[in-house]
Amino acid sequence: MLACGTVPVKDLPLISGRAVFEGEFLSVNGFKVPCAQGTAAMIGGALSVADCLKLEPPQALVVGDTGRGQGSYLLYEFLIQRVSTLSPDVLVLHYCLPDMTLMRKLCESVRSCAKRPLMIADAASMYAAKAAGLATEFDIFTPDLCEMAFLADPDASHPAYINKHLFEADIAKVPELVAAAYQLKSAARLLLVKGAVDYIAEDGKVVDIVSEPNIPELEAIGGTGDVITGIVSALAYAGLELREAAKTSALVNRMAGKLARPSPATRVWQVISQLPAALEQRRVTC
Amino acid sequence: MNLGGKVMVLKKAKVKAESGGLLLFEKVEDAVRAEEILSEADYTVRLVAPPPTFRMGCDLAIEINLVEQIGIGRLFREKGVNYLKVVPLKGAGRLLDVVKVTEFKDATMVKAGNMKVTFDKNKGTILNVSGGGCPDIPYLSASLIGKKLSDAPRPKDIGFTLCAMMMDRAVVECLELWRKRSTS
Repeated sequence: MLACGTVPVKDLPLISGRAVFEGEFLSVNGFKVPCAQGTAAMIGGALSVADCLKLEPPQALVVGDTGRGQGSYLLYEFLIQRVSTLSPDVLVLHYCLPDMTLMRKLCESVRSCAKRPLMIADAASMYAAKAAGLATEFDIFTPDLCEMAFLADPDASHPAYINKHLFEADIAKVPELVAAAYQLKSAARLLLVKGAVDYIAEDGKVVDIVSEPNIPELEAIGGTGDVITGIVSALAYAGLELREAAKTSALVNRMAGKLARPSPATRVWQVISQLPAALEQRRVTC
Repeated sequence: MNLGGKVMVLKKAKVKAESGGLLLFEKVEDAVRAEEILSEADYTVRLVAPPPTFRMGCDLAIEINLVEQIGIGRLFREKGVNYLKVVPLKGAGRLLDVVKVTEFKDATMVKAGNMKVTFDKNKGTILNVSGGGCPDIPYLSASLIGKKLSDAPRPKDIGFTLCAMMMDRAVVECLELWRKRSTS
């Protein structure tokens, strides 16, 4: 499994290797990265699951980028050149500057892999895939409610431009948004829509819902959605059927959130720290 | 699969941008100067003739990655470049201007587009930032969390992307709510 994305460390070169979760930090190849919102939280979630299930640890591929895009371009370029050689079983694409042209080239390179990786995208990698019309090349997207509205909007190339009435849709409208996104071919094979209620959708229809335990504070905590992406990626990597992996990840994230006894000020690494206990409670095995 | 723990050095490849957005100008010379400045700053851009539906000023426009519009706008202000507006090539062309507010016991969360900013109702400090997906968001979050709303840097002043612009809208709304409550 190769988990890729940018991290907010200025001038951090493109680095790869096994990541280690060290509470407030993630260590990758000797470099310390804050285990906060974004790619680091996603990798932290994946690592916890891999550790608990005694899987081969995910490989992290991260680069510093504070918004100008230079790190993102290096990441795209590396993957475009090397993905067919690396041929990961699972490829997770996360925070980066969304670039339709480079995402298109990356998907072309992925098609040349001897064995097609399971393709998972969240954050701006999902934005780029949708905007470039490449959503159907992916197996899992993990949008929140606003991002689900973005996938259902035929014109928006970024969630900042979604139609106002779609943004105003509440969580109960997710089935309609899901149907619209699949109709537009703007959805991955499976959608895990993260929110007050988590919806799992395949082939245009909601196939499962997870709503308990309900911890409203989790929505305020930056990175909890990223953790779900990491969990579902690791569970899929472990061989769980995608629908089961999605349902389990939604449940386990909620349980870890509950165990963290969160407030709106809680940090995401405190939720990640509870994942082993949550997985144990859920008795996740593969 | 093992990447061997390497640090990789690569150069950015020059590719033709699939832009998503257009910068419109009143005068041809503004467009030409803007293209030079953006290219020097390593933005991937292209001078084009705008489609008739977008034509406002001159017959030249610049294709940009729509997501990068705040960083580009700031660069233009620094360099004194005049432009009319940024328009997305698809869609209604309007940025989301509505927000949603969620109340917790001691905190308020404001959602603007894909961004959520939560502040302490009693102290006016930023407690958390969630949502988004562009690379400046984790950096901006780290810069804002723990600061008073009135002292925190504005995401539009230090961010580069549309996610940062949405974060800025959420911060502005948080600040308005905080000020209204502290004066009432």
